[in-house]
Amino acid sequence: MTSLDPLLAGATTGTAVLAEPIADSNGRASRATWRVFRRDPLGMGSMVILALLVLVALAAPLIATYPASYGTDVLKAPSLTNLFGTDSLGRDVFGEVIWGTQQSLLVAVSASFIAIVVGTLVAVLGAYFRRLDGFISIIVDLTLSLPVLPLMILIAALIGPSTTTIIGVVAAFSWPEVTRLVRSQALTVVNLPYVDAARLMTTSPFWIISRHIVPAVAPVIVVSVVVTASRAVLSAAGLAFLGLGDPTVWSWGRILYEAQQSGAMSSAWWLTLIPSIAILLLVLSATLLSIAYNDARNPRNRAR
Amino acid sequence: MSRLSFILRRLGRSVFTIWFAVTVTFLLLRLLPGDPALAIASPNMTDDARAALLTQYGLDKPLIAQYGIYLFELVRGNFGTSFTQSIPVMNVLLQRLPWTLLLTFTALLLTVLVGIPLGVLAASKKGRFIDKFVQIVGVTGQSIFVPSIGVLLLFVFGLNLRWLPIGGAYDTNAYGMAWYGSVISHLILPAVSLMLIQLGSYVLTMRSTLIEALGEDYVTLARANGLPYRRILWKHALRNALLPTTTLIGLQLGFLVGGAVLTETVFAYPGIGRGIYEAVTQLDFPVLQGAFLLLAVTVVVANMLTDIVYGFLDPRVKTS
Repeated sequence: MTSLDPLLAGATTGTAVLAEPIADSNGRASRATWRVFRRDPLGMGSMVILALLVLVALAAPLIATYPASYGTDVLKAPSLTNLFGTDSLGRDVFGEVIWGTQQSLLVAVSASFIAIVVGTLVAVLGAYFRRLDGFISIIVDLTLSLPVLPLMILIAALIGPSTTTIIGVVAAFSWPEVTRLVRSQALTVVNLPYVDAARLMTTSPFWIISRHIVPAVAPVIVVSVVVTASRAVLSAAGLAFLGLGDPTVWSWGRILYEAQQSGAMSSAWWLTLIPSIAILLLVLSATLLSIAYNDARNPRNRAR
Repeated sequence: MSRLSFILRRLGRSVFTIWFAVTVTFLLLRLLPGDPALAIASPNMTDDARAALLTQYGLDKPLIAQYGIYLFELVRGNFGTSFTQSIPVMNVLLQRLPWTLLLTFTALLLTVLVGIPLGVLAASKKGRFIDKFVQIVGVTGQSIFVPSIGVLLLFVFGLNLRWLPIGGAYDTNAYGMAWYGSVISHLILPAVSLMLIQLGSYVLTMRSTLIEALGEDYVTLARANGLPYRRILWKHALRNALLPTTTLIGLQLGFLVGGAVLTETVFAYPGIGRGIYEAVTQLDFPVLQGAFLLLAVTVVVANMLTDIVYGFLDPRVKTS
């Protein structure tokens, strides 16, 4: 069965993780995963696109000059001199999109990194120390049942828009989702005989958690990294679109926000279309990558 | 007895969730750098004037007393006064709430009406082209930035084809039945934008739970008894597959409201989301706070109602 929803896949393929020998043959399992993954055109295509986006982000200064100065050619359609046209202040949209890649990836990577570390830690601690678990799952449930974007907006407006604010705010409301995903997996792992055996060997919960529980939930973590990062891209773009992005740095959301502010959003199609495609490419390829990874990891798909 | 206690327990959980949202908001407002007094006071105020302002807003009292006052005022429906319009936040928001409710409810209805049949279609043709196509559309829909799809629809159906209005919620020159007509025509584009981004999760959940249900023994038994496939699919398997899809509504409500904020901004739709957009530009914190709390209450109440209705429909829910 191939499941296209990474969240559901994470929940339903729980048995797949346990079917693999966990402790000593991690290398063999991941090689087998790679063998299947390599043959999946969607997965490989997504990986190439993501790699290209990272390359563009890193090489932004080499590809385009930072679009700062206003020009006289206002709202020009795409041409050879301005590949993606110009905005309402005559700045080059190509440069804005290229530099925006850097900002969007930076926010996505840092916010999801924080969310993953916090979310995994909370989930694993909750699964291991059952007394914490009730409290943790209440907090997670409560946060997940609130409309998060309006809350992010309130906080970002209070602190004042900057890149750090956006990363912090997005991370602060992304970890509960990670906890939810990782916790369900961790709860099964904690009850396995080898964890009981480990308890006889050592009294250090830190040792058991880091050596035996975290590695066992690692595949779920990989999937949620991708899901969290792609949601972070959308949240950050949403904040920027409402005027809460960093006003000193170009981001895809800011291009859309300025297009909306200047009233050129619907007439100058390139101002909306190009950043929109950029967001779609990033989020879609991240999602497809996680699906392909999930499918490749599932031993039932390896028999081919 | 069990039905009543189910409803009461569900009610208690909702009150608890709302209390949590209120407390988080209070702590944010008091502990974050955007000091409410600083936000109203100009930086060149004298210390005396500032102190007077703090007393006026009760900010000189200890935190716990401020918290008590805050809760008391919220229960009375006092969300504070808008910085920019100098009228109670509650008045600003209550005017806007019906539009947001109309938009989100229509979008949800559309999503369910389109999503469930699509999911059934994909599941019944598992592995065929139509299944792959529906899945790809679903995943792509989830990856689109809401304003992107909004502007695209606006551009095609509003500006180029001129079939539908490009913004607002109604025609100011229309009266009577024509007014209701204008409300519907203004609703279509924003509601469809919201539907398109929501659709994916419903279709994919419906598909995978239905495929699972079709593998159950009772389906095999029904087929062995010679029941037509169509009847098994729609009558037997679908009923059991609907539970996860219904719980999905609850999980997605917060996300739907977030999407509505962005959609309303694109379409200049006079709901709470557009209000948030305007309040952000003017740094009107009381409005932002009130908007979040009101949306949180809406989501929590809607979620509770879905659960209770479901509890009546599915006898298994009560016992668990």
